[in-house]
Amino acid sequence: MAEVIIRKLTKTFGDNTVVKSVSLKVEDGEFLVLLGPSGCGKSTILRLIAGLEDVTSGEILINGEIVNFVNPVDRNAAFVFQNYALYPHMTVRKNIAFPLETAKLPKEEVLKTVNEAGRILELDQLMDRLPSQLSGGQRQRVALARAIVRKPVVFLMDEPLSNLDAQLRQQTRIELMELHQRLGITTIYVTHDQIEAMTMGKRIVILKDGELQQIDTPTRTYEKPANTFVARFMGAPPMNLIKGEISLASGQLEFKGDGFTSSLDYLKMGLTPDLISRHNNETVSLGVRPEHIEISSDVSAGELSGVVKFLEPTGADLFVNIAIGEETAVVRCQPKAKVQIGTKVSLKFASENVQLFGADSWNINSNL
Amino acid sequence: MSQTDQNKVLIDWQELSLSDEEFRRARSRYKLRGLIPVMGFLGPFLLLWTVFLAIPMLWSIWLSFNTGGLIDEAKFVGFDNWSRMLSNDELVRSLKNTAIYVVIAILTVFSLALTIAGLLNSNKRGQNFFKVALYFPLLVPPIMAGMIFFFLTHYDMGIINLVLQATNHEKLNFLGDNPNALLTIVSLEVWRGLGFWVLFFLAGLQSIPSDLIDAAKIDGAGSVRRFRKISLPTLRPLLLFAVIIALIFNFQLFDSVQVLTKGGPVLGTTSVVWFIYKRLFAFQDIGLAYATSVGLLIVVVVLTVAAYGFLGKRSEN
Amino acid sequence: MSSKHPIGIDLEDLARQDALTRRAKSALSYFVLGLFVLISVGPILYVISPAFRESKSLFSYPPQWLPNSFYLGNFKFLLTETNYIRWGINTLIFATSVTLISLVIDTLAGYAFARMNFPGKKLLFGCILATLMVPTAALLAPTYLLVRNLDRWTFGLIGLDTFGGLIIPMTVSPLGVFMMRQFIETLPKGLYEAARIDGASEWRIFTKIVLPLMKPAVVVLGIFVFMQQWANFLWPLVITTKDETRVLTVGIATLQGQFVTNWGVIAAATLMTIAPIIMVFLFFQRWFVQASVAGALKQ
Repeated sequence: MAEVIIRKLTKTFGDNTVVKSVSLKVEDGEFLVLLGPSGCGKSTILRLIAGLEDVTSGEILINGEIVNFVNPVDRNAAFVFQNYALYPHMTVRKNIAFPLETAKLPKEEVLKTVNEAGRILELDQLMDRLPSQLSGGQRQRVALARAIVRKPVVFLMDEPLSNLDAQLRQQTRIELMELHQRLGITTIYVTHDQIEAMTMGKRIVILKDGELQQIDTPTRTYEKPANTFVARFMGAPPMNLIKGEISLASGQLEFKGDGFTSSLDYLKMGLTPDLISRHNNETVSLGVRPEHIEISSDVSAGELSGVVKFLEPTGADLFVNIAIGEETAVVRCQPKAKVQIGTKVSLKFASENVQLFGADSWNINSNL
Repeated sequence: MSQTDQNKVLIDWQELSLSDEEFRRARSRYKLRGLIPVMGFLGPFLLLWTVFLAIPMLWSIWLSFNTGGLIDEAKFVGFDNWSRMLSNDELVRSLKNTAIYVVIAILTVFSLALTIAGLLNSNKRGQNFFKVALYFPLLVPPIMAGMIFFFLTHYDMGIINLVLQATNHEKLNFLGDNPNALLTIVSLEVWRGLGFWVLFFLAGLQSIPSDLIDAAKIDGAGSVRRFRKISLPTLRPLLLFAVIIALIFNFQLFDSVQVLTKGGPVLGTTSVVWFIYKRLFAFQDIGLAYATSVGLLIVVVVLTVAAYGFLGKRSEN
Repeated sequence: MSSKHPIGIDLEDLARQDALTRRAKSALSYFVLGLFVLISVGPILYVISPAFRESKSLFSYPPQWLPNSFYLGNFKFLLTETNYIRWGINTLIFATSVTLISLVIDTLAGYAFARMNFPGKKLLFGCILATLMVPTAALLAPTYLLVRNLDRWTFGLIGLDTFGGLIIPMTVSPLGVFMMRQFIETLPKGLYEAARIDGASEWRIFTKIVLPLMKPAVVVLGIFVFMQQWANFLWPLVITTKDETRVLTVGIATLQGQFVTNWGVIAAATLMTIAPIIMVFLFFQRWFVQASVAGALKQ
């Protein structure tokens, strides 16, 4: 059980800086998710913590001790690979026993620990099989067994579910969560799938191009994204962003877009007049999620409105794509809603559901 | 705690504790520790390679500027050996012989091997049997293959001449005459090398993506045409690579010469390596042999590098 | 192949003709292939005859090809009057030792180049690759001098007419290192990383994980090296001066010099040397074929 801290971690491969001065602290026993698109550096950070790559600059601490220059095994961190990396010529039992035998533990202890791990991961029937004789999900469990057998203080998982099919993925996700609850080991989990991140992580770390975008609970990254990237990355379909300018007028926040004006209650949004005036003369983006917008055929002049371009029925919902000037907005409606393509509709939403992003793409509300 | 204090705690954990200097030192120590196993793994080979390959290479260059050294002290003669190289009849002859041999041998072996590989590729039945049978000559150490050919071509007891005699034809003097002797050696080496090159080209042919061949078939191209217009061009980088390998192998012609002709008749089959060997152990004018060795060395290294060039082109393809 | 067919021609006829040409072509192909099989195997079979005849009778007139009686004198002579058996043992020791030593150092070095990181790795590997094809002949003089001089320094372990001098220089095989490295690189990197995290030292990873997965490649390389050294002529020729230290290739060649007319013996020697190889080959066909192609094609 350990606390992991990385400070100003930077990693360069030749000319390419893959991790740019990232700092974060993982609490003891926490399940932290590193999320981001491919190439954002999340796997690299994991591998740096594990010791599979050398740090260019910065520090990695496990339980207060700097481990940059410590051998991977001595860091006491277990790693679960995307492709499981099981030793193909060894049985399940030997695979799980490998780390223990390497540590030269006495035979009886090895046997006991291996069997215990096998029991926890429900592998008792498969102990004498070879990896090639196992299904993806089973191999996954063997990889996990091999990882827990060393009683590590940190669990590092690199997209362990990507190679499983959708149904198996959901089931295994739950099993992983249960395992975490049961063992309580600090876990750092890398994924590009935001559903996994949302459901599994106590906190999510969102990365883009090697830079930290936001560290927060899943809910807050969803409701209060730190910038437009996070706003569009979390949620499917993503948050709508509409460009315009803001100003203060008669105690309300006025958002002037392309052919419309919206009045919003800045207090409900958690903003101050001071903050608003700072972004007066720039193009800001108004962010509101598809499920927070109501459309009606009742359109008044100057109101936010658009033309319905096409419909996406998903069974549980109906996503209506609306063209607003040059931009598009997606609204989530009831599956049986009567919306017709080509009609003009107005879009209404509550102030507290709106996020504003400055021209630099960051949420203007800095007190998040 | 006041706000500023709280902020301080928040930020403090992000401050680096190691100075740049300490960081660099710790990293070098870590990296150096990692080098120890490397030495264990690489060491044995590297040691042997240095002692028995790298040093001899450098030494041979030094030797080429000397003469003597095998039974007596080496004597420095500067560029003397090198300048005499082209004026030495025997050496020039051996270069010529080797060149002629190499060209004829490679052309013959490649055309035959390509044809056979082509045939094998289109007629899949019994492929394994043919591969095994064609491989036989490779099992025979070159020197013994030489013995066998000596028997075959012997003027009095060789079967070829026996058959010729029996059918009232004139017997052929395979080894006693030039250019017969050289051609006989060519035949020997072609015979020996065929199996290898057939397998080589067969593997190459089989690596051609079948879509290309199928497309050609649909376009109505017959097998010969397909071979000429599709297979061969696709194999070109591989062919070039093969030529270079073959050049390197064949430049080292020695064993057959030793068995069949001992360089004769009248220097007719002296190869470059034979020249070197003879000179070295005749203990006369060794300097020339030294220089020739280095010449051979340079040629091989240059060819090797060229071969890699073609290998690279192939992987680009 | 097919030219324009005027309308009205019997399609069945055409099909039959096509089938005929195909079959004819096929027959021709097999004929040619068969011819080459004869050419390849024939000369080897040819040696069987002179081996079983008295050397004198080989030159008799009218010339005979087939022996009229089975003469075993050649073999007896070979085994009792020459050092053939000694040569055979020497060759066996020589080829086996070179193979074993090569395999060990090549796999170790191959692993280092494939999976370890160290400064100058690329440069060093490049240098080694450049020497891949350097022929023994080009380095004959210096290597000979080197071995001769090493006699003093290695207490006679490596020197002229010693096993050490014969074997050690031949164990340097950049090709072997290259092949092993190529093969090891094909093994998934994850295995190696997982083992490192599991705490295995490089040596443990090498012996417990990489080596077991390398068996086929090691066998192929082993066969390749063994065959190469079994047939090695130039180097043993140069480094051995005494009859007892010779290997088969050199020994049989000396038969040519010493007993100029005793071709029967030479044929017998050739036969005896080749026969076991062929037998082993037929047994292990698959590996041999792989080995020779691997020799140059492995990339």
